Amino acid sequence: MAFIQCSGLKKTYTVGGEEVKALDGVTLSIERGDFIAICGPSGSGKSTLANVVGGLDQPDEGSVVVDGIDLARAKDKALSDYRNKQIGYVFQSFNLQSHETALENVISPLTVAGVGKRAERRERGMKALERMGLSDRAKHKPTQLSGGQRQRVAIARALVNDPQLIIADEPTGNLDSSRGADVINELKRLNADGITLIIITHDTNVAAQARRIIEIKDGKISERSGAQ
Amino acid sequence: MNFVDQFRTAWRNLSRQKLRTSLTIFAIVIGAVSVTVMLSLVTSTKGFLVSSAEQIGMDRSIIVTGLPGLGYGSSQWNRADGSGKRIDTDSLALIEKLGNVNSASLHTNDGGFFESLTIDGFQITMKNVALEGYSPNGTVIHHMLVGDELSVNTNGSGFLISSNLASELGYKGKEKTLIGKEISLKYRTDWGPPEAKKGDEIGKIVGVTSSDGQNLLSMDLDWAVSMQTLTWSQKGPNGKTETRIESQIAKYGFGSIWIDVNDKKNVDAVMGEIKQLGYGVAAGKEEIDNQATAFTIIGAILGGIGGIALLVAAVGVINTMVMATLERTREIGIMRAVGATKKTIRRLFRVEAALLGFVGGFYGVVISFGFAFGLNQILNKQLADSSIANRNIVSISPQVALLVLLITTLIGMLAGSLPARRAANMDPVEALRYE
Repeated sequence: MAFIQCSGLKKTYTVGGEEVKALDGVTLSIERGDFIAICGPSGSGKSTLANVVGGLDQPDEGSVVVDGIDLARAKDKALSDYRNKQIGYVFQSFNLQSHETALENVISPLTVAGVGKRAERRERGMKALERMGLSDRAKHKPTQLSGGQRQRVAIARALVNDPQLIIADEPTGNLDSSRGADVINELKRLNADGITLIIITHDTNVAAQARRIIEIKDGKISERSGAQ
Repeated sequence: MNFVDQFRTAWRNLSRQKLRTSLTIFAIVIGAVSVTVMLSLVTSTKGFLVSSAEQIGMDRSIIVTGLPGLGYGSSQWNRADGSGKRIDTDSLALIEKLGNVNSASLHTNDGGFFESLTIDGFQITMKNVALEGYSPNGTVIHHMLVGDELSVNTNGSGFLISSNLASELGYKGKEKTLIGKEISLKYRTDWGPPEAKKGDEIGKIVGVTSSDGQNLLSMDLDWAVSMQTLTWSQKGPNGKTETRIESQIAKYGFGSIWIDVNDKKNVDAVMGEIKQLGYGVAAGKEEIDNQATAFTIIGAILGGIGGIALLVAAVGVINTMVMATLERTREIGIMRAVGATKKTIRRLFRVEAALLGFVGGFYGVVISFGFAFGLNQILNKQLADSSIANRNIVSISPQVALLVLLITTLIGMLAGSLPARRAANMDPVEALRYE
């Protein structure tokens, strides 16, 4: 069985009294270690698909099974556990806690899960920051960091718990092209290390670097192959 | 998330909104101080009154009257119409024979036959002054403000005056100077036949008692009896001059008998025996119980007022926490995204609210201790010249302090429950989108 198996996913939102089909019978398989780009115009349902695969949202119909866990039927505890241990999120707007330092942000998945002692968590956090070349920024607050640095802190947070999957939702959306390229390179390096990578983007240059490109429009998907 | 991390996070979140947190805590402090001070004030005063009453053996005392149903302290003449049982030396002898009776004394309480009282040339009317007579054998004991109780050494001519009467005579705060001063009592001119006019009664003040608003003059029983006895000479039907004696006591009997029982456990048994003899009885311990009940009621009312203050503070906590959930919506979304369960979020907000309650309660208790200290300084100054041994009347027991701390923490936690649930149930996707 594939690492991620989505079958007949449906999700409908009501916006201003009108029903919008964000996912309309999406069936998709993703193998371990794959690099997928999900593309599509605004409101096409790409973030909804990412959220469903990431365990932040549940579909109205269909099933989504990741590494044997049925996310569509999982309870809050199991879903939270999945988000904490199996995946790492990278958001367009970084989503860092502004009152915490870079290190505190990075170790937040460990703190939330109550993993180990504080010193152990800090050590793991420092390693993740080092991997992103930000060990000298550990005590800085997000406001004291550049956009690119903030996104790398977010990536460090995503990988601190050694996830199998990273979901990056428009990771370069708030960055200039050079810093955006740096971030994509970091993510590709992680993918090369064996982490499955799903990038949601409407940037064709970013999408072109993925092995598989999933186009989504009006909740339906179509696929074309990307870079080999 | 372990408790230490929850506590640390909660503390940090509260510190981020210093003004709002301080104001919320301030409201809890007011509630905590109200509850602590009011409860302690009432409990301490109750304890003080009870222990003071026990010091003078009130819990062991019984008052026997000729009529049943009279309250404690009522010393009533037997009715001229013959209703009620006569109280006299025979009654005393009967009661002294009962088991468990330490001592007993006949007691009179009147003053209607005097017109005025003079001290150092200052005269007041006796209209509102009661006279009390008893045997100074240790049965009747007063709270002494200054001086000594009546004793056999006062040779039957000493007075005790109540602090209320001392105030009326202009000696408020100078009660000490009254000791040794002479009091003269002038009889009413219309009392008894013209031939029976009596000279003024003169005696020295040996002590001042603390009184509960009563103008009372206490003296030896024999002296009180002699005051109520008129003697005069008149010609009889055979033309011979004969001596007539008219005694109010001989006519109506004494007002009551006061008893000191050897142990308060035996009070009920002694009361039962006396009732069987046909007398009315009232126990000092019942009076203590009545006063204690009254204070318990006052305590409940005042505590309730403090409780309302705490309730208002709880509304403040709810408001603060609702604001916090709104402001931190995105933070909640991030926490959920990195793996926080609904339970973790709920707990985090509950700990935060409980912390508000705990800190408010802590400061409230500390301030209450300071308040009690200040109040005691003032009260101790007031009591400095008296013989009342109790000092630091207002005391906050560690149990009360702990209870208040527990209540404020619990109130905080309960008040935070609704906002906590609201935070926990937020849709993480919506929360992450929140601007």
